[in-house]
Amino acid sequence: MDSNNNGNRFYLNLNNDRPAFPDRAYPTTPSTFPNPIFSNQAQSGGQGQAQGSQQQQQPYSTGFAPSGYFMNNPYPPSYPQQPPASNYQGVQAPQASFQQRPAPTNPNDATNGLVHQFSHQNLGGRASPYGGVRQPSPSQRPRTAGATGQQAGYGNYLNAPMPAAPHQKNLPEFQPAPERNPDKYGPLAQTNQKRCSTLAESFFKDSVKRARDRNVRQSEMEQRLADPNQSQARREQTWSNAGKQEGKYLRFLRTKDSPDNYQTIKIIGKGAFGEVKLVQKKQDAKVYAMKSLIKHEMFKKDQLAHVRAERDILTESDSPWIVKLYTTFQDADFLYMLMEFLPGGDLMTMLIKYEIFSEDITRFYIAEIVLAIDAVHKYGFIHRDIKPDNILLDRGGHVKLTDFGLSTGFHKLHDSSYYQQLLQGKSTRPTNRNSVNLDQINLTVSNRSVINDWRKSRRVMAYSTVGTPDYIAPEIFSGHGYGQDCDWWSLGTIMFECQVGWPPFCAEDAHDTYRKIVNWRQSLYFPEDIQLGPEAENLIRSLVCNTEQRLGRGGAEEIKAHQFFRGVNFDTLRHIRAPFEPKLSSNVDTAYFPTDEIDQTDNATRMAAESGNQPRHEAPELSLPFIGYTFKRFDTFNNNR
Amino acid sequence: MPPLPSSPSLSQTLSMDDSTGSLPSNDALSVYNLTNPKPLWLNDAYAKHIVKGNFMTLSARPKTVEQGEWIAHQVVEHYRNLWNFVRVIHDKDENGTSICNSQTCPRMSAGAYVYNSQDFPHDLILYYSNHSFTWLNSRKEPVEVPAHEYISLMQRWISGKIDNTAIFPTDPAGVSFAYNTSNPDIASATYASGGLDTPGSNTPIPAGPTALTASLSQLAGPGDWIGKSSGFPVDFVEVCQTIFRQMFRVYAHLYWAHFIDPFFHLSLEKPMNSCFSHFVLTATEIDMLKPHELEPMQPLIDLWAANGTFPKESKAYACANLQAGKRLIALSGVNQ
Repeated sequence: MDSNNNGNRFYLNLNNDRPAFPDRAYPTTPSTFPNPIFSNQAQSGGQGQAQGSQQQQQPYSTGFAPSGYFMNNPYPPSYPQQPPASNYQGVQAPQASFQQRPAPTNPNDATNGLVHQFSHQNLGGRASPYGGVRQPSPSQRPRTAGATGQQAGYGNYLNAPMPAAPHQKNLPEFQPAPERNPDKYGPLAQTNQKRCSTLAESFFKDSVKRARDRNVRQSEMEQRLADPNQSQARREQTWSNAGKQEGKYLRFLRTKDSPDNYQTIKIIGKGAFGEVKLVQKKQDAKVYAMKSLIKHEMFKKDQLAHVRAERDILTESDSPWIVKLYTTFQDADFLYMLMEFLPGGDLMTMLIKYEIFSEDITRFYIAEIVLAIDAVHKYGFIHRDIKPDNILLDRGGHVKLTDFGLSTGFHKLHDSSYYQQLLQGKSTRPTNRNSVNLDQINLTVSNRSVINDWRKSRRVMAYSTVGTPDYIAPEIFSGHGYGQDCDWWSLGTIMFECQVGWPPFCAEDAHDTYRKIVNWRQSLYFPEDIQLGPEAENLIRSLVCNTEQRLGRGGAEEIKAHQFFRGVNFDTLRHIRAPFEPKLSSNVDTAYFPTDEIDQTDNATRMAAESGNQPRHEAPELSLPFIGYTFKRFDTFNNNR
Repeated sequence: MPPLPSSPSLSQTLSMDDSTGSLPSNDALSVYNLTNPKPLWLNDAYAKHIVKGNFMTLSARPKTVEQGEWIAHQVVEHYRNLWNFVRVIHDKDENGTSICNSQTCPRMSAGAYVYNSQDFPHDLILYYSNHSFTWLNSRKEPVEVPAHEYISLMQRWISGKIDNTAIFPTDPAGVSFAYNTSNPDIASATYASGGLDTPGSNTPIPAGPTALTASLSQLAGPGDWIGKSSGFPVDFVEVCQTIFRQMFRVYAHLYWAHFIDPFFHLSLEKPMNSCFSHFVLTATEIDMLKPHELEPMQPLIDLWAANGTFPKESKAYACANLQAGKRLIALSGVNQ
């Protein structure tokens, strides 16, 4: 292809070339009309496309008629058959695409003529498709123009606005759109279809978010540059740092991440669906918590929606109350989430260790959790699975929420039928087991040994696929819908546990716990030997109650205003010293994680051993659900974190 | 290619048409010699998108980001997007057949345009002419290659470039920044110091980039090239332009040969429109494609300029023939 020529053609086209103009304008009778388009009509026009059949002549001529141009039309009627464009026809000839049509030059085609005449008869009603776009033609068009009317119409032609070329109206301007038939392709195409549309969608979603964030950073930088107190050198520094930071992020975006880029220090958590490791990036020695989830397990246990939900909230949020997700990536077997490492461990571990908190310490944690839950709600999410295992403590001992629909409590949280099944099903507890039935007695100090058993099995429970239902609100089981306030119920149960030493609906197995929660009016019991402050008990009772009466239903302010929090300054809470500050020997200290209880063989090693180190290829049912999962946060390279 | 016929009297008519703002004329389109009926994707009703708003925000280089870094980013993003669509027609099912195959598409065509082995990037031609592959005839003359094979070769070639860290460096330590053109002090100061964080600074400095548009060469200083300060090689821009050109051809083939079959049937035409319009907007904006290289898809570009897809301030909009686009919209209305 001659590129110069192409260039010329392109630019020409902007200016003066009107090669086929006359054929669009010239009116003819059906029998003499030789327009090539006509044969197309026989091929593809007609069926159901009648309204799409207006030919380009018509609008054109109506648009131009007032100019009087046609009176001076120097072109003979036969011109359309040899438009200059036909020069290109030779070039196009080898082209086999479906667009290619022979340029028919057979004006005597009887069928065409008939079709044409027929269509012509119906001309009068056809002006409307042009709508408001153009006006003059319809009223002026010779409505009686039938087969015999042509001559008359033609006679008037010189004095009247151009009658739209009626004979072409059964011809579609564009290829008719066929009825969509996705089933004509095989399963591979169906898979590709889903992948393709999901990826395109998330491309734009992610790109827009990135562009928006970038603009915010840009204007922040410009504000700093505008500061007159800054030295020239400082300004240069500001500019170049900003550029390098953005550049690093762009490099990060186009680089594929892999677990090989990270050195495992220790496995700090393990569950049925994956594990959490403390890792160090080889390139820059930065420390992260890397959660790796086994795709196959999540697929089997129907956790795909949860994986997605967690990814979505963590990528959208940027709050000190929510654990930060830096990047996600995947390979054939795992999804990886690279998150900030919170060295303080979790509230569950704290509660296992201390059993109960004083009221002041309880007040601190519950107040912080209120703010954290509120932050989640402000992002438009409902956590639904707030529990001590999901409340992490950062370096300073302050609270951050994690595990949004994932991690330890992998049950199908919004599938009420799952719970219905559990509620109706038989207890899984062996009936002949020699143990105390927690269901039938109230827990008192004398039952502490039972509670200790519960506490011992707690971590095992937390890591199981079932998870613990202890903190879940009853309306989630009922299947009649739930709102943000279900998280406030969970808050109430956690507060109960902080003060009493066990969660209010604690039972030997999950089935019993469900029943207790649903029958919370009977089963919520404050042990007599534990003295709770009246405000504390009142707050718990205001949260662990019917959703209609529940405090926080009208927003977090309701809870913050409760007497229990009298004197708490919520605005500065995160800046005061936490009652418990982790003492760390290094930035990779895992003292607050029960690493000695966790098998330190990682899943990748185990799975590789099981599969005999055979190369694994990604099954389509496993690749599809995780499309668009990959995410990269800007401040992964932020040195200030 | 025969020269285009021109008619001064007709151009007069056109200018009058412009000034009165009346209906765009039909022959704004005639230069394309589109077949009748025209391709479905030129129907405004099927040129729609999955996103609304100004795409420019996604294409425009952030002021502080070094130009080479931005180009590299765009190459990779658009390559990922394009291959997302290509896989639909290119993947082979368990019977070993793909939607685009040597029967459906014996040539790499886009309407009237057929790309043959001569259209390969220079190094690919060299490589293959040394390995006497079937698509080179006995005299090693360029031959037409089935679209599927053309696309496979192009994928291998492009990923070979993108994955080569000597061409697309990934080390965060090598990152640079753009000179602050709004602040001459900064610009000169940083410029004089030269070679900031330039891993490849021991590369000999060439006379200057060839085949670059003015705007691109202006961004690099004398004796420098785009991306030099960030460690991109001398021929980086040239490689990226070739990648964009090849990607454009693949998109053109998707539209001309596969828009209905399979993309329309699979309801993927809107995502494809969005990705391709974003591609055109970006490629023109950062001078990766020249206006004449857009030709096989020019009518669609006209349409997108006229229907507001391309913002008025964009280079893609400047490349378009608005009359032709308006004409397509007017005709599309008829088809509704």
